[in-house]
Amino acid sequence: MIRRAVVWGAAIVALAFLALPIVAVFAKLSWSDVPHEVSSSLVTDALVVSAKTTALAQVLVVLFGTPAAYVLASHRFRGRSLVVTLVELPIVLPPAVAGIGLLAAFGRMGLLHTSLPFTQSAVVVAVAFVAGPLYVRQAIAAFEGVDATLVAASRTLGAGPVKTFFRVVLPLARGGLGAGEALAFARGLGEFGATIMFAGSLQGITQTLPLAVYAEFDVDFHTALALGGLLVAVSAVLLVTLKWLASSSTSAFRFALSSST
Amino acid sequence: MPAALLLAKITVYAAASLTNVFPQIDSTPTYSFGGSNTLAAQIQLGAPADVFASANTALPLQLYQKGLCTQPVVFTRNTLVLIVPKSNPAGIHSVYDLQQPGVKLDVAASGVPVGSYTRQILKNMALSSVLNNVVSNETDVREVLAKVALGEADAGFVYSTDAKTVPGQVTALTMPAWAQPKVQYGICVVKNSSNTTAAQAFVKEVLGKSGQAKLLAAGFLPREKPKTAP
Repeated sequence: MIRRAVVWGAAIVALAFLALPIVAVFAKLSWSDVPHEVSSSLVTDALVVSAKTTALAQVLVVLFGTPAAYVLASHRFRGRSLVVTLVELPIVLPPAVAGIGLLAAFGRMGLLHTSLPFTQSAVVVAVAFVAGPLYVRQAIAAFEGVDATLVAASRTLGAGPVKTFFRVVLPLARGGLGAGEALAFARGLGEFGATIMFAGSLQGITQTLPLAVYAEFDVDFHTALALGGLLVAVSAVLLVTLKWLASSSTSAFRFALSSST
Repeated sequence: MPAALLLAKITVYAAASLTNVFPQIDSTPTYSFGGSNTLAAQIQLGAPADVFASANTALPLQLYQKGLCTQPVVFTRNTLVLIVPKSNPAGIHSVYDLQQPGVKLDVAASGVPVGSYTRQILKNMALSSVLNNVVSNETDVREVLAKVALGEADAGFVYSTDAKTVPGQVTALTMPAWAQPKVQYGICVVKNSSNTTAAQAFVKEVLGKSGQAKLLAAGFLPREKPKTAP
């Protein structure tokens, strides 16, 4: 009995702790000001910058991440686990370290001497760097979950590797790829540290929604709250979509989802 | 007064430009350096600060008027400089060169004291149009310093004392005295400080002889302008 009370008590504390800050964002909002605050140029500019950079970053992530994941999932070679670890590293890296790394690599004085910093492309690069690994990691799991006998059957029936990939592997892995992409999208939308270090913060160019929240924090806390509420809402929609995808898809998809946690 | 009370660790929220000099004045407190505006917002939201040292007088005065800190006193002054990386990739030799198109000018956001001073000095020189070349609005002066020192930005406005902390990396171009805004630093004891005695002692230390000497050595200006002969 006592043990049960302790378990329930701990569970309630955990749930309340996780829910409270999110509830507080909305509780402290002055709802009558929200339409006015959310329509300010700071917010609309940040929305446009976030939408553009996140969309572009995700296209790049899928375009380059899918082949990378497929190669890693279908080949066994020496040092493979090292490569996979390197791919996953940005997930656990502190964003500030990611920002330093991007400057050291792509800065004007960096290894590649590019003029990326302070441009909108720099935001895309920062988002792709921190969010891409989430997709690649999930995609590797999804490709590994594809039944090898089906692939073999397709090949023996005369389909080439490319045709097999697009007609057999991709449809079977689709659910897992979708889940990975949704996770990467959500992470990319929230990117802050690497962006502010590598791309800076300029309204209409590099100031994304999270950067605008930070910029408004000491100017107008209420606008920051309204922006925060907006981000919570968008993230919630993403998460619900993700869960809906998961429940209405194949078992391979659920496997991929559960292996990500 | 028991010595332990004075030695008790207090938390000092101080402008980013004081990052190097404050620990030289007193190494015992826990410091939180950042944009003065961010620090003031945090104090308003109940952050556990004992002392607030701001790069202007307006922010501590606002806190004082809200009953959140004691009446601020000016403890030092500063001047603005234009800095360029040692390599000077954009070939900037005076503030007027900032008018060239494509110059990557890094400044602090307008809410940050140094960002506000930057806009004032440019306005005083009728050069506000160079703000079209701004590539980023940073959250504090040290971010501007870092991006220029790294060579990523072509130029930036910081305090002369910031430029002195990275002598090998940036060149400081002085700005005319007539255009300089009044850069005064205000300090106050936060009202809900858990250790008012130690907080007051710290303020005294900053205003005292050795505190002022350390500030002067770091390039800050004396808190009162020396009286000029008539």
